[in-house]
Amino acid sequence: MSHNQESGVEALSEKYADVPRLIILKLDLQRRGITLSDAAADATCTPYYRGPEVTAFSTKETAVRPLPGPILLRDGTSVLTGPTDSTLLKPYTVDYIDGKFYVYDNGERLDEVDFSPRPEFYGKLTSRGVPMESIAWSRPQRLDLYPYRYCHYWDTREQCKFCGFFTDLKTQKQLAGDSYAKIVHPEDLFETVREAIKEPGRFSQINLTAGTDYSGEVPFENEVKRYVEVLQAIGRNFKTRRFPSQLIAPAYSKQQVKRLYDETGLSSYCPDIEVWDKELFKWICPGKEKWYGRDYWIKSALDAVEIFGKGNVYTNFVAGVEFVQPHGFTSIEQALDSNFEACEYFSKNGVVYLSIVWRPGRGTGLAGQQQPPLEYYVRLIRGLVEIRKHYGLASDNDDFKHCGNHGDSDLERLN
Amino acid sequence: MSKLPEELIALLHDTGSIKVIATIDGEGHPHVVVKGSLTTLDNETIVFAEGLEGSLSNKNLVRSIWFDKKVAINITKGLTSYQVKGRPYKYLITGSVFRQLLDRARERRGAEADIAGVWVITPEEVRNESPAVRSSLAREERGLFHSHLDLLRHSE
Repeated sequence: MSHNQESGVEALSEKYADVPRLIILKLDLQRRGITLSDAAADATCTPYYRGPEVTAFSTKETAVRPLPGPILLRDGTSVLTGPTDSTLLKPYTVDYIDGKFYVYDNGERLDEVDFSPRPEFYGKLTSRGVPMESIAWSRPQRLDLYPYRYCHYWDTREQCKFCGFFTDLKTQKQLAGDSYAKIVHPEDLFETVREAIKEPGRFSQINLTAGTDYSGEVPFENEVKRYVEVLQAIGRNFKTRRFPSQLIAPAYSKQQVKRLYDETGLSSYCPDIEVWDKELFKWICPGKEKWYGRDYWIKSALDAVEIFGKGNVYTNFVAGVEFVQPHGFTSIEQALDSNFEACEYFSKNGVVYLSIVWRPGRGTGLAGQQQPPLEYYVRLIRGLVEIRKHYGLASDNDDFKHCGNHGDSDLERLN
Repeated sequence: MSKLPEELIALLHDTGSIKVIATIDGEGHPHVVVKGSLTTLDNETIVFAEGLEGSLSNKNLVRSIWFDKKVAINITKGLTSYQVKGRPYKYLITGSVFRQLLDRARERRGAEADIAGVWVITPEEVRNESPAVRSSLAREERGLFHSHLDLLRHSE
C-alpha cells in the first residue's frame, strides 16, 4: 500500500458524501496523531485545560507540560489522539490563535477544535495522600480508572504486539513498581470518584480497564476478585443499583462474568478481540491466545450477552493491525471482508464490534509498520455501522461523547 | 460576526418570550420545537440547551452541522417577533458554556434537570417578523394593493 497517492480528508469527504467531514477528520487525527505548536502547548497548560501531572502514563516532559484531555471537534465528537513521532505519516498541527485552537495540515487550516477542560478533582488528594489525578483520567464525559497498572502478558513477552500500555511509550517495559504503585487501593478509587462526580454535568460514565492478571487458583480469579472489590467501592457513591459503567477486561468464564454482574453495579462488559482473523489473532495477541485462545474470547463475549443483555457487551478491534507484515492482509478488500464478517457474527449475537484506529507506537512490537490509508477507515466505519443498525445495536457506552476512539459509533448519532 | 439587533438581544434575554427552533430531517421534513433555554451569551451567536441526544430535533441538528444545513429560529413576545436563520457551529458537551446552561436549567426546572449538550448557532440572516414592521414594509413595496377596503373607508 503506497501512501503517495493517498486521498486526504477533503477528497474523501467528496467521494463519500454520506460520511461527515468531521468524522473523517477525526479518523485521520487518530491515524496520524498531532503536534502542538508552542502557543497551543502553552494554552493547554493554563488552568482551564491543564492535564494531570502525575499519572501512570507520565513522562518527565509531561510532568512539566502535562498533556490536555482529548480533542473536541465542533460537533462535540471527542478524539482520542495525541502528540506522536511514532508513525511514518506526518502529524497534524494544532495551533492557538486569538484565543482559539485550530488544526492544520501542511499549513492549511482545516477546522476549529478544542480540548476537554480540566476537571475539578485534579490537584486534589485522597485521604491517604494519593493524587486523585494519578488514579482517574478525565475524558469529556467519561472517567477512566486503572485499578491495576501492570500487564502480566509482558512477563513472558506475550503482550499484544500493538500495545504500549503502562510503558513510557518508548521502552518495551512495564513501569509499575519503578514509577508508580501497581495496585490502586479501592478506597482511593472510591474517594476519587466521589470527588469527581460532585462536578455538575461533568461525567456520565465510568470506565475501568487495567493490565491483565491471570493469576489465581482458577485463572483470572485474583483479577475478578479485585474488580469486584473496586466496583463495589465505586458503587457506594451511587443511589442506584447500577451505574453507567464499562469494564474492558480479558475474556472471563461465564461464572466470573455473572459474579461481576451480580455482585457489583457494572452495566457493560468489553472483552477486546483486537483482531478477528484466526491466524493473525494468534500472532498479534500471543498472551490472549495462551489464555485461552480466540474461540474462548468469542464465547466469553457471547455468553456475557445472556448476563448483561443485548448491546451491553462490546468487543474492540485495533483496525489496521490486520495489515501488519509479514503475516497481515495485503489488500483493503481482504481486511474489510474480515471485519464485516466479524461484525455480522457479533451483531447477530448481540455484541457490539467496534473499531479503534491503530497508530503504531515506538514502545510496541509494531513500531515502524505502515498504517492503512485513510480511505480504508472511512469504508470500514460505514460498513460497520450499517451492519449494527441492521441488528438494532447502538454503542451508547462508546459513543461520540464517552470514548473518543470509534468513528463508527460516532456515525450512530443519526440512527 | 455581526452583533445582533438590540431589540432581538432583549427578546433573547427575556425569559417571558417564546423561542422556537425549526430543523429538517434527512428527507427534508420540518420539525419545530420550543426551546426555553435559547439565548445569547455574546450578543453574536445563539445558544440553547438540548435535553436528549436521541431527540428528533437533536438528530436534525447533528445532520445540519455534518452536512451544512440551515436551521430557523423564532423569538416572539407580544407583537414583537424575530426570525433568525443560521447554521449550527458547535455542539458543546462539556466546558464553561455547557456548565452555564446546565446551571440555568437546574435553576429553572429544579435540581434534577439535566441537559445533553449545548448548541451554538451562527446567525446568517435576521428578519424582523413583528406584524407592524412586516405590514409597513409590505405597503412600501406593494402600496395598498392587498389591504381590505373596510380598513380604508371613512369612519362614520
